[in-house]
Amino acid sequence: MLIKKLFLFLIFLLILVFLPFVISGYWLRVLTQTFLFAAIATGSNIIIGYTGYPAFGNIAFFGVGAYVTGVLMTKYEMGFLATLPFSALAGIILASILGIPILRLKGHYFAIATVGIMETIRELVDNMTELTGGGLGLTLPIMQGEPEFIYKYFYFAMLICLVFALLISFVVSKIKLGYALKAIRVDEDAASVMGINTPLYKTAAWAVSAAIVGVCGGIYAYWLSYIDPHTVFVGTYSVKMFAMILLGGGTTVIGPMLGAFILELISEVVWSKFIAIHGMVLGLLIIFIILFLPKGLFETFKGGFSFKKLFSNLRENKL
Amino acid sequence: MIILQILVNGFLLGGFYTLIGVGFTLVWGVTNIINLAHGAIALLGAYITYFIFQYWHLDPFVTLPVSFLSMFLFGYVLQRYLMNLVVKAQIFMLLILTFGLEIFLVNFMTTFFSADFKSVTPDYAGSSLVLGDIVIPYIRLGVFAICVIVTLLMSFFLDRTWTGKAIKATSLDIEAAMMSGINPAKIYALTFAFGSGLAGLSGSLLSLTQAFSPNIAGGLTLRAFIVSILGGLGRIEGAFLGGLVLGVVETMSSYVIGESYKNAIAFGLMVLMLIIKPSGLLGRKYYAEVKH
Repeated sequence: MLIKKLFLFLIFLLILVFLPFVISGYWLRVLTQTFLFAAIATGSNIIIGYTGYPAFGNIAFFGVGAYVTGVLMTKYEMGFLATLPFSALAGIILASILGIPILRLKGHYFAIATVGIMETIRELVDNMTELTGGGLGLTLPIMQGEPEFIYKYFYFAMLICLVFALLISFVVSKIKLGYALKAIRVDEDAASVMGINTPLYKTAAWAVSAAIVGVCGGIYAYWLSYIDPHTVFVGTYSVKMFAMILLGGGTTVIGPMLGAFILELISEVVWSKFIAIHGMVLGLLIIFIILFLPKGLFETFKGGFSFKKLFSNLRENKL
Repeated sequence: MIILQILVNGFLLGGFYTLIGVGFTLVWGVTNIINLAHGAIALLGAYITYFIFQYWHLDPFVTLPVSFLSMFLFGYVLQRYLMNLVVKAQIFMLLILTFGLEIFLVNFMTTFFSADFKSVTPDYAGSSLVLGDIVIPYIRLGVFAICVIVTLLMSFFLDRTWTGKAIKATSLDIEAAMMSGINPAKIYALTFAFGSGLAGLSGSLLSLTQAFSPNIAGGLTLRAFIVSILGGLGRIEGAFLGGLVLGVVETMSSYVIGESYKNAIAFGLMVLMLIIKPSGLLGRKYYAEVKH
């Protein structure tokens, strides 16, 4: 079963590798953006889906990663690829320090505490004008070369990042950490009684997820070549990421990626057709997913598609 | 003397935070819904006051019942026919549902009312009460008074009326409440309606004291959240205390550290509270219990 899935995934990957040579620059850009979201969702899923801690403000690490790359490239003149490990490291350190107090909270409290952290970091970045350029933003060195080459470069950079995220997520689900996280999700007290060091495992899960999201931020910063606090610490990204995880199913490795592909492509089509009401449609789409597909697309339609299943979901959660 | 003026400003701001927090904390405490669209609903109230003032030149204070009632109805319908459908799902489903709603409402307002900053300025906007060195604008004083009165009324309603008691009973034990003949679907809808109505009211008052645009919705929601955390969930007097603390801390820190760190300090205060005493200053186990 796993071999068959792996085979399908490799074919999918192979298509993605050859795609940039046949599609236009516009679609290259759309797909790069999709990979970015897929990688963020896959990384965040380790804390959200596996562990069951709704880290609503996980985009904080995205912003931190972006700024680490930005500052290292402009102020210390480091090469782009050399900065990415530092972006990951920044995420790990931050998540480890914050994890100890914050991961004691549960449910809503944890969710909003992470949002609070994101807002606080954004404001600190906004105020550290000498290092980060504050509200003026930070302009990164522009990559040398033909536009065609640059498009493809970021396409593959993002794709590799996504594959790495999936690999890490897969490995995590197969080792002791993954089983511990699953136990924590189902019943944290019981897990603790069983001898699982829950604070340690939760913090480790958050750190891994922060590292992946941090690297995504780093690549994004160089891709955009201009960042300011409001373009990298974006609340909407958090929601999109959450909706992707829900749509695909949070307990699987591949679910968030599939969710990201579906949602991002829909949102792109909506964006190009109805630009004025794009935000309203996105809001409605999220409401629709929550109402009719709370278990995720694939879990709901396991045995084939039918409208009945949509409405049975609705009945189940009704008061 | 400047410290005294700052304290007064802090209290006046705190009155507004109380009102926006009361609705939020009530909804959270009773239905366990974090309504991330609270700020957006408040802004709908602000636009109602703005448009009535703009086209019919009615005094903004007269429009308060209109925005309360229309948001009350809006909230009732929303909870009865949308949120009640997902109440039993995992907690973060509702969180995202309300965020979807927030995105929808904010974009709706941006599309139809534009993203420009609007403000309501009646004739008496500039006049103030002067007490020695301290200056208090009449409007802010009026806003503060209304906030306090409405908060007291809400507290009275919850403690003394049958419906209020039913709301409290539902928040304590939903099954026991059902056994005594309370319909939780209706109580949830009613609670959310009160929460939204109070949000709309506070939005109308906001339009009097500062300029607003659809983009400040998130900031308002987070303020309401901080007030609830500080005071303790579902408790009206908790929201009152939390609102005043937040108002004073915010104005104080703006003066001492600088205006641009205002949000960081408010959130820092909240995270600190969550770590030290997650149930809030006045929170008791019985109300603020974390339901899963």
